Amino acid sequence: MARKKTGNDARDPSPLPADDAHLSPSSSSAALSQQTKPAPIPLILAPEGNAGRDAVKVNNASANEMKIACDDAVKRFLAQPGAFNTIHMHTDVRLLLGWGAVIVAALTGLYGWKMEFEKAKPVVTAGVVLYMILSSAQTLYAYFIEQNIVFEGKRKTLQRRKYAQIETERITLSSKTLPSTPSTPPKYEVSVSYVHSTNGGKLLLGRARERAEMPYTAFFDAAGTMDQDRFDAWLHELVGRAMGSGAGDAKTQ
Amino acid sequence: MGEFDKIRKMGVRQFLLQVLNFVGVLASGLMIWKGLGLVCNTESPIVVVLSGSMEPAFFRGDLLFLTNPRETPYMLGDIVVYKIPADRSGAEQIPIVHRILEIHTKPKTQAQMILTKGDNNPTDDIGLYRGLPWLERSHIVGKVRGFLPYVGYATIAMNDFPQLKYALLGGLALMALVQRE
Repeated sequence: MARKKTGNDARDPSPLPADDAHLSPSSSSAALSQQTKPAPIPLILAPEGNAGRDAVKVNNASANEMKIACDDAVKRFLAQPGAFNTIHMHTDVRLLLGWGAVIVAALTGLYGWKMEFEKAKPVVTAGVVLYMILSSAQTLYAYFIEQNIVFEGKRKTLQRRKYAQIETERITLSSKTLPSTPSTPPKYEVSVSYVHSTNGGKLLLGRARERAEMPYTAFFDAAGTMDQDRFDAWLHELVGRAMGSGAGDAKTQ
Repeated sequence: MGEFDKIRKMGVRQFLLQVLNFVGVLASGLMIWKGLGLVCNTESPIVVVLSGSMEPAFFRGDLLFLTNPRETPYMLGDIVVYKIPADRSGAEQIPIVHRILEIHTKPKTQAQMILTKGDNNPTDDIGLYRGLPWLERSHIVGKVRGFLPYVGYATIAMNDFPQLKYALLGGLALMALVQRE
Protein backbone atom coordinates (compact mmCIF):
# COMPACT_ATOMS: atom_id res chain seq x y z
CA MET A 1 0.00 0.00 0.00
CA ALA A 2 2.79 2.42 0.76
CA ARG A 3 4.31 3.41 -2.56
CA LYS A 4 8.04 3.44 -2.92
CA LYS A 5 9.66 6.56 -4.32
CA THR A 6 11.42 4.66 -7.06
CA GLY A 7 8.09 3.27 -8.21
CA ASN A 8 6.76 6.78 -8.72
CA ASP A 9 9.84 7.88 -10.61
CA ALA A 10 9.54 4.98 -12.99
CA ARG A 11 6.08 6.13 -13.95
CA ASP A 12 7.20 9.69 -14.60
CA PRO A 13 7.40 10.00 -18.40
CA SER A 14 10.10 12.61 -18.99
CA PRO A 15 13.58 11.47 -17.99
CA LEU A 16 13.37 7.73 -18.33
CA PRO A 17 15.98 5.07 -17.78
CA ALA A 18 17.53 3.65 -20.91
CA ASP A 19 15.41 0.53 -21.30
CA ASP A 20 12.15 2.49 -21.48
CA ALA A 21 13.48 4.89 -24.10
CA HIS A 22 11.17 3.68 -26.83
CA LEU A 23 8.25 5.26 -24.99
CA SER A 24 9.87 8.64 -24.82
CA PRO A 25 8.52 11.11 -27.37
CA SER A 26 11.31 13.57 -27.88
CA SER A 27 14.35 13.00 -25.76
CA SER A 28 16.04 10.45 -27.98
CA SER A 29 14.36 11.22 -31.31
CA ALA A 30 17.19 13.48 -32.37
CA ALA A 31 19.64 10.65 -31.86
CA LEU A 32 17.32 8.23 -33.60
CA SER A 33 16.81 10.27 -36.73
CA GLN A 34 20.53 10.14 -37.42
CA GLN A 35 20.55 6.37 -37.43
CA THR A 36 17.19 4.97 -38.58
CA LYS A 37 18.25 4.46 -42.19
CA PRO A 38 19.04 0.76 -42.55
CA ALA A 39 22.23 -0.39 -44.17
CA PRO A 40 21.85 -0.34 -47.95
CA ILE A 41 21.82 -3.71 -49.66
CA PRO A 42 25.13 -4.21 -51.37
CA LEU A 43 24.87 -4.80 -55.08
CA ILE A 44 27.17 -7.76 -55.18
CA LEU A 45 27.95 -8.68 -58.73
CA ALA A 46 30.32 -11.38 -59.77
CA PRO A 47 33.58 -9.64 -60.63
CA GLU A 48 33.17 -10.23 -64.35
CA GLY A 49 29.49 -9.22 -64.26
CA ASN A 50 27.29 -11.17 -66.63
CA ALA A 51 30.18 -13.19 -67.93
CA GLY A 52 31.00 -14.57 -64.48
CA ARG A 53 27.59 -16.09 -63.82
CA ASP A 54 25.84 -18.94 -65.53
CA ALA A 55 24.09 -17.60 -68.58
CA VAL A 56 20.31 -17.69 -68.44
CA LYS A 57 18.82 -18.51 -71.80
CA VAL A 58 15.10 -18.91 -72.31
CA ASN A 59 12.62 -19.05 -75.13
CA ASN A 60 11.82 -15.38 -75.60
CA ALA A 61 8.54 -16.19 -77.32
CA SER A 62 7.14 -17.55 -74.07
CA ALA A 63 6.18 -14.87 -71.56
CA ASN A 64 5.87 -17.56 -68.92
CA GLU A 65 9.47 -18.72 -69.35
CA MET A 66 10.70 -15.14 -69.20
CA LYS A 67 8.69 -14.49 -66.06
CA ILE A 68 10.14 -17.60 -64.42
CA ALA A 69 13.67 -16.50 -65.36
CA CYS A 70 13.01 -13.04 -63.86
CA ASP A 71 11.54 -14.59 -60.71
CA ASP A 72 14.63 -16.75 -60.31
CA ALA A 73 16.82 -13.67 -60.76
CA VAL A 74 14.81 -11.88 -58.05
CA LYS A 75 15.34 -14.78 -55.65
CA ARG A 76 19.06 -14.90 -56.42
CA PHE A 77 19.44 -11.16 -55.95
CA LEU A 78 17.48 -10.73 -52.73
CA ALA A 79 18.85 -13.86 -51.07
CA GLN A 80 22.47 -12.76 -51.43
CA PRO A 81 24.67 -13.01 -48.32
CA GLY A 82 24.52 -9.30 -47.60
CA ALA A 83 20.81 -8.94 -48.26
CA PHE A 84 17.76 -10.76 -46.87
CA ASN A 85 17.22 -14.22 -45.43
CA THR A 86 14.56 -16.05 -47.37
CA ILE A 87 11.38 -17.00 -45.53
CA HIS A 88 10.38 -20.35 -46.98
CA MET A 89 6.97 -20.60 -45.38
CA HIS A 90 4.85 -20.65 -48.55
CA THR A 91 7.04 -23.26 -50.20
CA ASP A 92 7.11 -25.35 -47.06
CA VAL A 93 3.34 -25.30 -46.61
CA ARG A 94 2.90 -26.26 -50.25
CA LEU A 95 5.41 -29.10 -49.93
CA LEU A 96 3.83 -30.32 -46.71
CA LEU A 97 0.27 -30.36 -48.04
CA GLY A 98 1.33 -31.77 -51.40
CA TRP A 99 3.51 -34.55 -50.08
CA GLY A 100 0.96 -35.29 -47.36
CA ALA A 101 -1.67 -35.78 -50.03
CA VAL A 102 0.65 -38.02 -52.05
CA ILE A 103 1.50 -40.16 -49.03
CA VAL A 104 -2.19 -40.52 -48.15
CA ALA A 105 -2.89 -41.54 -51.75
CA ALA A 106 -0.07 -44.09 -51.71
CA LEU A 107 -1.18 -45.65 -48.42
CA THR A 108 -4.81 -45.78 -49.57
CA GLY A 109 -3.77 -47.41 -52.83
CA LEU A 110 -1.65 -49.95 -51.02
CA TYR A 111 -4.43 -50.79 -48.60
CA GLY A 112 -6.98 -51.17 -51.40
CA TRP A 113 -4.60 -53.43 -53.28
CA LYS A 114 -3.93 -55.73 -50.33
CA MET A 115 -7.48 -55.99 -48.96
CA GLU A 116 -10.52 -57.29 -50.72
CA PHE A 117 -12.78 -54.57 -52.16
CA GLU A 118 -15.77 -54.80 -49.84
CA LYS A 119 -13.66 -55.01 -46.69
CA ALA A 120 -11.43 -52.18 -47.84
CA LYS A 121 -14.25 -49.78 -48.68
CA PRO A 122 -14.45 -47.75 -45.44
CA VAL A 123 -10.71 -47.14 -45.26
CA VAL A 124 -10.43 -46.32 -48.96
CA THR A 125 -13.32 -43.87 -48.66
CA ALA A 126 -11.61 -42.17 -45.74
CA GLY A 127 -8.36 -42.04 -47.71
CA VAL A 128 -9.95 -40.54 -50.81
CA VAL A 129 -11.77 -37.91 -48.74
CA LEU A 130 -8.58 -37.02 -46.86
CA TYR A 131 -6.70 -36.75 -50.14
CA MET A 132 -9.35 -34.39 -51.53
CA ILE A 133 -9.16 -32.23 -48.40
CA LEU A 134 -5.37 -31.96 -48.53
CA SER A 135 -5.35 -31.28 -52.28
CA SER A 136 -8.00 -28.59 -52.02
CA ALA A 137 -6.19 -27.05 -49.06
CA GLN A 138 -3.02 -26.86 -51.13
CA THR A 139 -4.82 -25.25 -54.06
CA LEU A 140 -6.72 -22.78 -51.89
CA TYR A 141 -3.54 -21.82 -50.05
CA ALA A 142 -1.73 -21.16 -53.31
CA TYR A 143 -4.66 -19.17 -54.70
CA PHE A 144 -5.63 -17.06 -51.71
CA ILE A 145 -2.59 -16.75 -49.52
CA GLU A 146 0.45 -17.22 -51.70
CA GLN A 147 -1.00 -15.52 -54.80
CA ASN A 148 1.74 -13.82 -56.80
CA ILE A 149 4.43 -13.76 -54.14
CA VAL A 150 7.85 -14.63 -55.47
CA PHE A 151 10.10 -13.78 -52.56
CA GLU A 152 9.62 -13.17 -48.87
CA GLY A 153 12.57 -12.36 -46.71
CA LYS A 154 13.61 -10.70 -43.54
CA ARG A 155 16.72 -9.24 -42.08
CA LYS A 156 17.63 -8.52 -38.50
CA THR A 157 20.26 -5.96 -37.73
CA LEU A 158 21.61 -4.81 -34.43
CA GLN A 159 21.40 -1.05 -34.24
CA ARG A 160 23.54 0.54 -31.62
CA ARG A 161 22.24 3.81 -30.28
CA LYS A 162 21.91 4.68 -26.64
CA TYR A 163 20.64 1.16 -26.30
CA ALA A 164 21.13 -1.85 -28.50
CA GLN A 165 18.03 -2.90 -30.32
CA ILE A 166 17.33 -5.44 -32.97
CA GLU A 167 15.53 -4.02 -35.96
CA THR A 168 13.70 -6.28 -38.34
CA GLU A 169 13.07 -5.54 -41.98
CA ARG A 170 10.63 -7.66 -43.90
CA ILE A 171 10.31 -7.56 -47.64
CA THR A 172 7.73 -9.21 -49.86
CA LEU A 173 8.00 -9.21 -53.60
CA SER A 174 5.20 -10.26 -55.94
CA SER A 175 5.38 -10.36 -59.68
CA LYS A 176 3.15 -10.90 -62.64
CA THR A 177 3.21 -10.59 -66.38
CA LEU A 178 1.27 -7.83 -68.04
CA PRO A 179 0.22 -9.29 -71.37
CA SER A 180 1.25 -7.66 -74.60
CA THR A 181 -1.00 -5.38 -76.61
CA PRO A 182 -0.75 -4.78 -80.35
CA SER A 183 1.59 -1.87 -79.65
CA THR A 184 3.54 -2.94 -76.55
CA PRO A 185 5.55 -6.02 -75.62
CA PRO A 186 4.69 -8.09 -72.54
CA LYS A 187 5.87 -6.51 -69.32
CA TYR A 188 7.18 -7.76 -66.01
CA GLU A 189 5.44 -6.04 -63.12
CA VAL A 190 6.88 -6.17 -59.65
CA SER A 191 5.31 -5.04 -56.37
CA VAL A 192 7.52 -4.65 -53.35
CA SER A 193 6.20 -4.35 -49.82
CA TYR A 194 8.66 -3.32 -47.15
CA VAL A 195 8.14 -3.19 -43.39
CA HIS A 196 10.68 -1.92 -40.90
CA SER A 197 9.98 -2.68 -37.27
CA THR A 198 11.59 -3.30 -33.97
CA ASN A 199 10.87 -4.85 -30.60
CA GLY A 200 10.10 -8.19 -32.13
CA GLY A 201 7.89 -6.71 -34.82
CA LYS A 202 5.66 -4.97 -32.30
CA LEU A 203 6.81 -1.44 -32.96
CA LEU A 204 6.45 -0.25 -36.52
CA LEU A 205 9.17 2.07 -37.71
CA GLY A 206 8.07 2.45 -41.26
CA ARG A 207 6.59 0.73 -44.25
CA ALA A 208 6.44 1.28 -47.95
CA ARG A 209 5.03 -0.21 -51.11
CA GLU A 210 6.52 0.23 -54.52
CA ARG A 211 5.51 -1.03 -57.89
CA ALA A 212 7.35 -0.94 -61.18
CA GLU A 213 7.10 -2.52 -64.55
CA MET A 214 9.52 -3.05 -67.36
CA PRO A 215 9.00 -4.70 -70.73
CA TYR A 216 10.71 -8.06 -71.10
CA THR A 217 12.54 -6.69 -74.10
CA ALA A 218 14.69 -4.67 -71.71
CA PHE A 219 16.13 -7.81 -70.15
CA PHE A 220 16.08 -10.44 -72.89
CA ASP A 221 17.83 -10.05 -76.21
CA ALA A 222 16.82 -11.53 -79.52
CA ALA A 223 18.44 -14.88 -78.69
CA GLY A 224 16.71 -15.09 -75.32
CA THR A 225 19.79 -14.46 -73.18
CA MET A 226 19.04 -12.54 -70.01
CA ASP A 227 20.95 -9.39 -69.13
CA GLN A 228 21.25 -10.15 -65.43
CA ASP A 229 23.26 -7.04 -64.59
CA ARG A 230 20.58 -4.78 -65.95
CA PHE A 231 17.87 -6.69 -64.13
CA ASP A 232 19.78 -6.56 -60.86
CA ALA A 233 20.37 -2.83 -61.26
CA TRP A 234 16.67 -2.19 -61.89
CA LEU A 235 15.69 -4.33 -58.93
CA HIS A 236 18.29 -2.71 -56.71
CA GLU A 237 16.90 0.73 -57.53
CA LEU A 238 13.32 -0.37 -56.89
CA VAL A 239 14.06 -2.06 -53.60
CA GLY A 240 16.29 0.83 -52.57
CA ARG A 241 13.38 3.20 -53.10
CA ALA A 242 11.10 1.04 -50.99
CA MET A 243 13.66 0.76 -48.23
CA GLY A 244 14.46 4.46 -48.35
CA SER A 245 10.89 5.66 -48.02
CA GLY A 246 10.02 2.98 -45.50
CA ALA A 247 13.17 3.36 -43.47
CA GLY A 248 11.41 4.74 -40.47
CA ASP A 249 11.56 8.25 -39.23
CA ALA A 250 11.48 9.50 -35.68
CA LYS A 251 8.32 11.33 -36.75
CA THR A 252 6.49 8.17 -37.68
CA GLN A 253 6.73 6.78 -34.17
CA MET B 1 22.70 -33.31 -70.81
CA GLY B 2 21.25 -29.89 -70.17
CA GLU B 3 18.31 -31.34 -68.28
CA PHE B 4 20.47 -32.98 -65.61
CA ASP B 5 22.44 -29.79 -65.11
CA LYS B 6 19.21 -27.92 -64.53
CA ILE B 7 18.22 -30.47 -61.91
CA ARG B 8 21.54 -30.21 -60.13
CA LYS B 9 21.34 -26.42 -59.86
CA MET B 10 17.89 -26.41 -58.33
CA GLY B 11 18.35 -26.74 -54.62
CA VAL B 12 16.50 -29.07 -52.26
CA ARG B 13 13.15 -27.29 -52.03
CA GLN B 14 12.83 -26.71 -55.76
CA PHE B 15 13.76 -30.32 -56.45
CA LEU B 16 11.14 -31.55 -53.98
CA LEU B 17 8.58 -29.29 -55.69
CA GLN B 18 9.44 -30.71 -59.09
CA VAL B 19 9.25 -34.31 -57.88
CA LEU B 20 5.94 -33.42 -56.25
CA ASN B 21 4.70 -32.29 -59.69
CA PHE B 22 5.26 -35.76 -61.07
CA VAL B 23 4.23 -37.81 -58.07
CA GLY B 24 1.18 -35.59 -57.59
CA VAL B 25 -0.10 -36.42 -61.06
CA LEU B 26 0.23 -40.15 -60.32
CA ALA B 27 -1.44 -39.74 -56.94
CA SER B 28 -4.38 -37.79 -58.35
CA GLY B 29 -4.82 -40.43 -61.08
CA LEU B 30 -4.85 -43.16 -58.47
CA MET B 31 -7.32 -41.31 -56.26
CA ILE B 32 -9.64 -40.59 -59.20
CA TRP B 33 -9.58 -44.29 -60.00
CA LYS B 34 -10.32 -45.30 -56.43
CA GLY B 35 -12.99 -42.62 -56.09
CA LEU B 36 -14.67 -43.78 -59.28
CA GLY B 37 -14.58 -47.34 -57.94
CA LEU B 38 -16.29 -46.24 -54.74
CA VAL B 39 -18.95 -44.26 -56.61
CA CYS B 40 -19.69 -47.17 -58.96
CA ASN B 41 -19.39 -49.68 -56.13
CA THR B 42 -16.96 -51.86 -58.06
CA GLU B 43 -13.23 -52.46 -57.72
CA SER B 44 -12.65 -52.00 -61.44
CA PRO B 45 -14.94 -49.36 -62.92
CA ILE B 46 -13.20 -49.40 -66.31
CA VAL B 47 -12.01 -52.62 -68.03
CA VAL B 48 -10.57 -53.56 -71.41
CA VAL B 49 -11.99 -56.38 -73.53
CA LEU B 50 -9.22 -58.91 -74.19
CA SER B 51 -10.93 -61.63 -76.21
CA GLY B 52 -13.42 -61.82 -79.04
CA SER B 53 -15.99 -63.87 -77.16
CA MET B 54 -18.59 -61.07 -77.18
CA GLU B 55 -18.41 -60.14 -80.86
CA PRO B 56 -20.16 -58.44 -82.59
CA ALA B 57 -21.16 -56.44 -79.50
CA PHE B 58 -17.65 -55.91 -78.09
CA PHE B 59 -14.34 -56.39 -79.84
CA ARG B 60 -10.87 -56.82 -78.43
CA GLY B 61 -9.55 -53.40 -77.38
CA ASP B 62 -12.90 -51.89 -76.37
CA LEU B 63 -13.14 -49.99 -73.11
CA LEU B 64 -16.08 -50.88 -70.87
CA PHE B 65 -17.64 -48.80 -68.07
CA LEU B 66 -19.08 -50.79 -65.17
CA THR B 67 -21.33 -50.17 -62.21
CA ASN B 68 -22.47 -52.50 -59.51
CA PRO B 69 -25.75 -51.15 -58.12
CA ARG B 70 -26.17 -52.46 -54.59
CA GLU B 71 -29.88 -53.07 -54.27
CA THR B 72 -30.86 -53.69 -57.89
CA PRO B 73 -30.90 -57.37 -58.87
CA TYR B 74 -29.31 -58.39 -62.16
CA MET B 75 -31.57 -59.26 -65.10
CA LEU B 76 -31.42 -61.65 -68.00
CA GLY B 77 -29.48 -60.21 -70.86
CA ASP B 78 -27.30 -57.95 -68.71
CA ILE B 79 -23.70 -58.00 -69.81
CA VAL B 80 -21.57 -58.51 -66.71
CA VAL B 81 -17.89 -58.77 -65.85
CA TYR B 82 -17.10 -61.52 -63.37
CA LYS B 83 -14.05 -63.00 -61.73
CA ILE B 84 -13.72 -66.58 -60.48
CA PRO B 85 -11.93 -66.46 -57.12
CA ALA B 86 -8.28 -67.53 -57.01
CA ASP B 87 -7.71 -71.28 -56.80
CA ARG B 88 -5.53 -73.13 -54.30
CA SER B 89 -2.34 -72.12 -56.09
CA GLY B 90 -3.29 -68.47 -55.50
CA ALA B 91 -3.28 -67.50 -59.17
CA GLU B 92 -5.70 -64.61 -59.74
CA GLN B 93 -8.20 -65.20 -62.49
CA ILE B 94 -8.67 -62.61 -65.20
CA PRO B 95 -12.08 -60.91 -65.38
CA ILE B 96 -14.41 -62.19 -68.10
CA VAL B 97 -17.17 -60.19 -69.76
CA HIS B 98 -20.17 -62.26 -70.88
CA ARG B 99 -23.95 -62.05 -70.99
CA ILE B 100 -26.32 -63.49 -68.35
CA LEU B 101 -28.15 -66.52 -69.71
CA GLU B 102 -30.02 -67.82 -66.66
CA ILE B 103 -30.86 -66.47 -63.21
CA HIS B 104 -32.31 -68.45 -60.33
CA THR B 105 -33.33 -66.60 -57.17
CA LYS B 106 -33.16 -68.39 -53.83
CA PRO B 107 -36.60 -67.97 -52.20
CA LYS B 108 -35.64 -66.94 -48.67
CA THR B 109 -32.54 -64.81 -49.16
CA GLN B 110 -33.33 -63.48 -52.66
CA ALA B 111 -29.73 -64.34 -53.56
CA GLN B 112 -29.17 -64.68 -57.27
CA MET B 113 -27.45 -67.67 -58.93
CA ILE B 114 -26.27 -66.78 -62.39
CA LEU B 115 -25.18 -68.60 -65.54
CA THR B 116 -23.40 -66.69 -68.31
CA LYS B 117 -22.37 -67.25 -71.91
CA GLY B 118 -20.33 -65.24 -74.39
CA ASP B 119 -22.31 -64.16 -77.46
CA ASN B 120 -19.63 -65.49 -79.76
CA ASN B 121 -19.05 -68.74 -77.83
CA PRO B 122 -20.71 -72.03 -78.78
CA THR B 123 -21.43 -73.10 -75.19
CA ASP B 124 -22.18 -71.52 -71.84
CA ASP B 125 -19.50 -70.75 -69.28
CA ILE B 126 -19.78 -73.80 -66.99
CA GLY B 127 -16.33 -74.90 -68.12
CA LEU B 128 -14.89 -71.58 -67.01
CA TYR B 129 -16.35 -71.73 -63.51
CA ARG B 130 -13.80 -74.34 -62.40
CA GLY B 131 -16.10 -76.42 -60.28
CA LEU B 132 -18.70 -73.84 -59.30
CA PRO B 133 -22.23 -74.70 -60.50
CA TRP B 134 -23.37 -71.09 -60.54
CA LEU B 135 -21.97 -67.59 -60.28
CA GLU B 136 -22.96 -65.68 -57.19
CA ARG B 137 -23.36 -61.96 -56.94
CA SER B 138 -20.10 -61.68 -55.05
CA HIS B 139 -18.23 -62.97 -58.08
CA ILE B 140 -19.58 -60.23 -60.31
CA VAL B 141 -17.43 -57.13 -60.64
CA GLY B 142 -20.11 -55.07 -62.35
CA LYS B 143 -22.59 -54.60 -65.14
CA VAL B 144 -21.61 -52.94 -68.40
CA ARG B 145 -23.18 -49.49 -68.76
CA GLY B 146 -21.28 -48.05 -71.70
CA PHE B 147 -18.28 -48.57 -73.91
CA LEU B 148 -15.67 -46.83 -76.04
CA PRO B 149 -14.28 -48.69 -79.05
CA TYR B 150 -10.53 -49.06 -79.75
CA VAL B 151 -9.34 -46.94 -76.79
CA GLY B 152 -8.33 -50.04 -74.80
CA TYR B 153 -5.59 -50.91 -77.29
CA ALA B 154 -3.26 -48.52 -75.43
CA THR B 155 -3.60 -50.66 -72.29
CA ILE B 156 -3.18 -53.89 -74.29
CA ALA B 157 -0.02 -52.50 -75.90
CA MET B 158 1.43 -51.52 -72.53
CA ASN B 159 0.68 -54.93 -71.09
CA ASP B 160 2.17 -56.80 -74.02
CA PHE B 161 5.23 -54.53 -74.23
CA PRO B 162 6.18 -53.50 -70.68
CA GLN B 163 9.14 -51.50 -72.05
CA LEU B 164 6.57 -49.11 -73.49
CA LYS B 165 5.12 -48.58 -70.04
CA TYR B 166 8.51 -47.85 -68.47
CA ALA B 167 9.55 -45.60 -71.35
CA LEU B 168 6.36 -43.57 -71.03
CA LEU B 169 6.71 -43.29 -67.26
CA GLY B 170 10.39 -42.38 -67.52
CA GLY B 171 9.69 -39.72 -70.14
CA LEU B 172 6.90 -38.21 -68.03
CA ALA B 173 9.13 -38.19 -64.96
CA LEU B 174 11.95 -36.39 -66.76
CA MET B 175 9.57 -33.83 -68.21
CA ALA B 176 7.91 -33.15 -64.85
CA LEU B 177 11.28 -32.79 -63.12
CA VAL B 178 12.51 -30.14 -65.50
CA GLN B 179 9.31 -28.27 -66.37
CA ARG B 180 8.68 -25.20 -64.24
CA GLU B 181 4.99 -24.66 -63.47
